[in-house]
Amino acid sequence: MAKGKKKEGTAKRSSGGPNRILVFLTLVALVPFSLPTLLVMFVGLLPAIVAAFVERGSNRYAWICIGGLNFAGLSPWLLSLWFGHHTLDFAFEQVTSVKMLLVAYGAAAVGSALYMGLPPVVNAFMMATSQHRAVGLQADLRKLEEKWGEAVKTPDERL
Amino acid sequence: MASEQKNGADGAAVLRDRYVVYPGKPLPDLASPNAEAFHAEDRRDAKKVLFALIVRPGILARTDSMRALKGSDSPGLMTLVEWGTMDWPPLQRKVMAVVYERPTGGRVMATMTSDFKAVDEADLVRKAINPLFAALRVLRSHNVTHRAIRPTNMFWATPEKDRVVLGDCTTIPPAYEQPLLVETIESGMCQPTGRGPGVYADDIYSLGASMALLLQGRNPAGHLDDDTILRRKILQGSVAVLIGEERLSLQTSEFLRGTLCDDPHERWTTESIELWLSGRRLSPLLAKFEKRAARGMPFNGKEYLTARELAIAFVRNWDAVPQLVLDGRLELWVRRSLDVKEKAEAIAAITRDAVMTVNEKRGAAFDIMVAKVCMVLDSRAPIRYKSLAAMPDGIGAMLGMAVAAGTEVRIIAESLMREIPKAYFQTRETYNPDNSMLDAIFRDLKLWLEKGSIGSGIERVVYEMNDAMPCLSPLTLDDYVLDIRDLLPALDAAAIKVGGKGWPVDRHVAAFIAARAKFDVERQLFDLSQPNSERSAMAMLNILAVLQWRLGQGGLQGLATWLGSLMKPVINTFHDREKRTALEKDIPRIARDGNLVELSRVLDSPEEKAVDSQGFQEARAQWAEARREVRDIEEGHANNRKAIHFAQRLAALVSMTICLVTFSLLLLARLF
Repeated sequence: MAKGKKKEGTAKRSSGGPNRILVFLTLVALVPFSLPTLLVMFVGLLPAIVAAFVERGSNRYAWICIGGLNFAGLSPWLLSLWFGHHTLDFAFEQVTSVKMLLVAYGAAAVGSALYMGLPPVVNAFMMATSQHRAVGLQADLRKLEEKWGEAVKTPDERL
Repeated sequence: MASEQKNGADGAAVLRDRYVVYPGKPLPDLASPNAEAFHAEDRRDAKKVLFALIVRPGILARTDSMRALKGSDSPGLMTLVEWGTMDWPPLQRKVMAVVYERPTGGRVMATMTSDFKAVDEADLVRKAINPLFAALRVLRSHNVTHRAIRPTNMFWATPEKDRVVLGDCTTIPPAYEQPLLVETIESGMCQPTGRGPGVYADDIYSLGASMALLLQGRNPAGHLDDDTILRRKILQGSVAVLIGEERLSLQTSEFLRGTLCDDPHERWTTESIELWLSGRRLSPLLAKFEKRAARGMPFNGKEYLTARELAIAFVRNWDAVPQLVLDGRLELWVRRSLDVKEKAEAIAAITRDAVMTVNEKRGAAFDIMVAKVCMVLDSRAPIRYKSLAAMPDGIGAMLGMAVAAGTEVRIIAESLMREIPKAYFQTRETYNPDNSMLDAIFRDLKLWLEKGSIGSGIERVVYEMNDAMPCLSPLTLDDYVLDIRDLLPALDAAAIKVGGKGWPVDRHVAAFIAARAKFDVERQLFDLSQPNSERSAMAMLNILAVLQWRLGQGGLQGLATWLGSLMKPVINTFHDREKRTALEKDIPRIARDGNLVELSRVLDSPEEKAVDSQGFQEARAQWAEARREVRDIEEGHANNRKAIHFAQRLAALVSMTICLVTFSLLLLARLF
C-alpha cells in the first residue's frame, strides 16, 4: 500500500516536471521576439510568480487570486507596450515607473486580501446552517441502523 | 417400498392391506431364535394356511432374498407369500414381517441336541434330498444362497411327513443361526454375523451335514463344544465328525462324502448332485487332511503340527505372535518342517514390510503383519484381525448388527482403515473377479471412514454395505425406514414426537440419505458438516427439500414447521431487518403447506441474497459518510474546511473575473 502511494506521488511529480520545463522553454523561445513584454510581465507579475512558487497543497487558489488582480493592475501598461512602442527601451521605462509598480503590486495586494478575507465570512455563514444539517444526518443514521442493524456501523463505531 | 398398513380388528396387524397377522396367536413351533411366528390370514383367501415371522428389531433381515424369493414355488421351500414393514401393536413400532405358507407336519428336529425319528436311508432321497435339491435349484435361479440349511430349520410339509421343506432364511443375516456342525470349516471360523452370503457350495455342505443328521436321528457331535468340533473337522475331516462309525449304503455314503468334502473346489456341485440323483456313479472322493509338519511348532505352551491349527492359535493369542514372526522362527518352521517354500517366502516378505515401517506406526504394522501371516498360513480361512473373524462379504452384516446393537465397532472400523480386506485379496492363491469388485468397494468405505464428517463415517459405511439396514436414527427407528421414500414421512411424524427439539438430520439420517439417494447430495452434505450454524442449517433444509422435490412428496407440515423453527440463524444472514421480519411472517405460512422446497427457495434465493448484500454495502457506505459528516460538524472541522475551500475558490473566481473584465475593457478602449 505504502509502495503504491509512493509510486503515485512519484508519478505526479514526474508529470508536473515536464509541464514546467515546457513552459520555461516556451518563454525562452519567445525571448528574441517579445523580450519587452516578458520584461514588463516578469517585473509586474512578480507577486503572482512568487505566490505560485511559494504556495503548497492540493488546492492552490492563492496564486490565481493574486495573479488575476495583479494582471488586471498591470494590463494598462502591457497594452501601452503592445499598442505603443514595443521596444526594450520603452519596457525599461515602464518597469522603472513607480506608478505602474504601485498599481500592479497594489492590485496584487488586494487579491491577497481577498484570498485571506473571504474564508472567515463564508465560514460564519456555513456555521449557521450546519447544526440543522447535523440533525438531519443523525436521523438518517438512525434509519440506516433500524433497517440494517448494528452491522451497518463501521467496526470502530460498533466497539 | 412404501409401507401403509392399518391395524385390523382385535389388535391384529395388517400387511399391505391384505395379510392379517394376529399377535395374540403365537406359533412357537414355527418360530426361529430371532423371529417370532404368529398366525396369519389372507383377507382374499381365508383357506390359505399362513404364518408370519416378525423380525426382531435390531436384526438385519435379508430383504434382497425376500424380494427374490417372494412367490417362489418349490417342493422344498416354504412359499414366501409377502413381506414388508407393518405396525406391530405389541412393540408399538413398525417391524419387518414375512408371511409364509405354513408347513403342517412340524419341525424335523426341535433343537440341535434333541433326538428325533431318523429318516430311513431308503426314503432319504424321496423325502428330503429331492425336495431340498429342488429348493437349492430355485434359490440358485434367483441368485440367492439359503445359508440356514439345518435340521432345526426344516419342516415336514404335510402331517404324513413325506416331504421336507426348508425354513426361513430371510429374517437373519446369512448363516447367523447356523450351528458350527453344519457349516464349513471356513464359515465355522467366522463370528456368526460375519459369515456372509457365501456361495452355493456352502449350502451344499449344509445340505450334506443335515442329511447326515437326518439319517442318524440325532446329533453325533451334540456333546462337543464348537472348538472341539472345529478342531476335529480340521484334523479328521467333516465326514468323520458327522458320520463317524455309522453304517451307510455306498450310494448314501457317496453323496455325503461329496457334499461334505472340506475342499470347496472338490465339493459336489448342483450338477454333481443331479448326476447322482439320476443314478450316475461318480468317482468317490477321498478325505484330504491338512498337511502335517515334520516337527511341531511350539507356541503359547502347545505344539502345532498343521498351519491351519497354528493360525487359529495365533488369532487367540494375537499379542504373542509378532515376536515369533520377527525372530524368523515361523518362517523357518514353514520352510523346513512344513516344507512349503512359497508360504515361507510370503511370510518373509510380510515380515520385511512390517520391520521397515517407521516406529510410530509399528504397532499397527505388526497387527497387519499378524493378520497377513494368518492369511498365508490358512488361505481358505476368513479375514481374521484381532477379535474379528469374518468373510469379506460378511463384514457389512457384522458391522450393521454391531451398530444396531450399539456394541463396539472399533475393531471392524480399524480393520477397514488398515486395509485388511485388501491384504486378504492380495494373498489369494487364485484370481477371483468378485474380489476385485469387493476391493473397490472397501476402498470407498475407507475414504468415508477417513472423512468422518456427518454424512460419512461409520454410519455411511453401515448403510453402504447393507441395503437392508433401516435408518437407525432415534427419530426414525420405530418407523423401520428401509426405503428413502419412507424417510420424510417418518421425520414428519418424529416432529410431533420430539416437539421440534434438536435437528431432524442427525448422523444416521444424513448417512442414510447419502447412501440411498440416487442423486448427488455431496455439496449439501459438505455444507452440513461446516461449523457455521447458518450454513449447516441451510444445508439441512436443502437436503430435505431436494429429497421432497425428487420424490414428489407433499404435506409435510410437521417437518416443515420443525425446520422453520430452526431457520433463525439463516434468517439472520439477511442484513435487512424488514426482510427478516417478512421472512419470519412467511415461514409459518409456507410450513402450513408442508412445502420444504418453497421454504428452501425463500431462504436460499441467490437473487434475494445479492440484493440484500448490495443494499447492505451501500448502506454501510452511506452510514460511514453521514457519520463522518456529523462528527465533523460536531468538532467544527467540516465548516472550517468546507468554508475555507469554498471561499478560496470564490476568491479565485472573483479575481479572475475582475482580471478578464478589466483587460477586456482596456483592450476594447484601445481598439475603438
